[in-house]
Amino acid sequence: MSKIEISHLSVDYTERNKHFTALNDVSFSVENGEFVSVIGSSGCGKSTLLSILEGIRHPSEGSILIDGEPVRGTGNDRGVVFQNYSLFPWMTARKNVAFGVKQARPKLSKAERFRVADEFLDRVGLDAFKGKYPSQLSGGMQQRVAIARALAMDTDILLMDEPFGAIDAKNRTILQELLLKLWEGDGKTAKKTVLFVTHDIDEAILLSDRIVMMSASPGRVYKEIIVPFSRPRNRSELVQTPEYSAFRNRLLSLFYGDIGDKIGGDEVVL
Amino acid sequence: MSLGKRFLRVTNLLFLILVAVQFLPDRTAKPAECLNVLWFAIGLEILVLIVSALIKKPEGLALFLDIIGFVYVFLILWTLASAKLMWLKETLFPPPGRVFAQFITDFPKIMVNIQSSLSIIIQGYLLAALVSIPLGLLLGWKARVGNAATYISKFLSAIPPIVYIPYGIALLPTFRSVSVMVIFLATFWPVLASTMSGVLNVEQKIIDSARVLNVNPFTMLFSVILPASLPQIFIGCNQGLTVSFILLTSAEMIGARDGLGYYVKNYSDFGDYTRTILGIIVIGIVVVAISFLFNKLQQHLLRWKK
Repeated sequence: MSKIEISHLSVDYTERNKHFTALNDVSFSVENGEFVSVIGSSGCGKSTLLSILEGIRHPSEGSILIDGEPVRGTGNDRGVVFQNYSLFPWMTARKNVAFGVKQARPKLSKAERFRVADEFLDRVGLDAFKGKYPSQLSGGMQQRVAIARALAMDTDILLMDEPFGAIDAKNRTILQELLLKLWEGDGKTAKKTVLFVTHDIDEAILLSDRIVMMSASPGRVYKEIIVPFSRPRNRSELVQTPEYSAFRNRLLSLFYGDIGDKIGGDEVVL
Repeated sequence: MSLGKRFLRVTNLLFLILVAVQFLPDRTAKPAECLNVLWFAIGLEILVLIVSALIKKPEGLALFLDIIGFVYVFLILWTLASAKLMWLKETLFPPPGRVFAQFITDFPKIMVNIQSSLSIIIQGYLLAALVSIPLGLLLGWKARVGNAATYISKFLSAIPPIVYIPYGIALLPTFRSVSVMVIFLATFWPVLASTMSGVLNVEQKIIDSARVLNVNPFTMLFSVILPASLPQIFIGCNQGLTVSFILLTSAEMIGARDGLGYYVKNYSDFGDYTRTILGIIVIGIVVVAISFLFNKLQQHLLRWKK
């Protein structure tokens, strides 16, 4: 049984009397401990898909099963990292993480909650910033706190919606490697199942085991590709290999090929 | 900061002028009691010197000295216009020394009046806040798009609460309970309106991130929505506090038997303008002190804001 099984998912909505289809018959599954990226241009419904998984939106048709159980709403088996930091501005970094831990693991005592929060803030390199409020932290630091919170909640599944989309290139690289390191872990604990939404092809290749490509209007799964590179991956070495370039080019041509299919033919007027 | 920056300031010069002015000959019929002003000024100046020696931030010192300087200028002009030049009749416009003397003799009475006024404010205000904030959270959360309650509370908060006084007198047994009711109403509607608009304006991303943490409705309301709307709630609370003071002192002038408004009204009826002025000054100090404490509370609770 797959960890996450998405079957025949469709989302329709009506806005100003016009009918839209955000997702059309989307099906794929994610295995336990697998890191899967969903990529696609904006408007392909990848964020809609994730919000259904998060439980804050409901599909018009189809279903999502987690461990064989249908998703009916939010649940503390899933940790979420949004693009826009999504920290509570009135809580310090430490309290933000501890609050997440409290929700996901209510049995822990207050002291244990804060111990877990401290541990994960240390891991994301924010030990000196625990007492700061989000407004006192940079975007990259806020996203570290959000990642620490999601990891500290110790959920089986991590859902990440373009978590590094709003972060500058240098910090993005650092955060990607941090996430990879944290996800790969020390080999003793079970790996988390990650569903990672992005529009950055390099990010998807570096991080994932498998890439699900989506195309727009209506949003549907276009292609699923297994990433052939062994782990642990080293970015600087990996990007220099000819295999990487070949794989990347293949993805790009698939990506743009899809767009070419859409706008190709006689209708294109440039 | 250098010693010169700390101690060679205009405020200290004003102190010396204030002291010198006290020694000009009095032209009042009764003693002007300028010695009281002298003692007050010396006490204040000792405070100034201590603060000047200890304070770390130059901006903080500048602000403090400006405020004290303003007090000195005010006392210089008051002393000159009353005791020394007698621009108005002595009974209508008593010299500051006499007001200080009155403050000392009336001190116990004034404290009783302050206590009476404050207890009414606190009862009406706290009761209103304790009811309207949770109610506003609930109503706002039930209909995040805006509902009838939003319009009703906006409409009702626009009615000047002073108009409830005559009806309140007919309705309630004591004047005290009327005052509490009026302050309750004066606080209730603006706080309710601002709480609801605060809830309506909480960013969707904050609500979504709470939802994905799977919080229960109670946690959502009191650990997420409440702190997120707090900046807005404080707008209503500030408005309620300002209006409460205006109302209370007005109400006390209409029909109370104690309180600061009563003190002012009663003595001005008897032509005792020394006490009238004293009452006005005391009301000013009480209002400033409460606003100061309230601002400190607000700063503390909203310290996470940029």
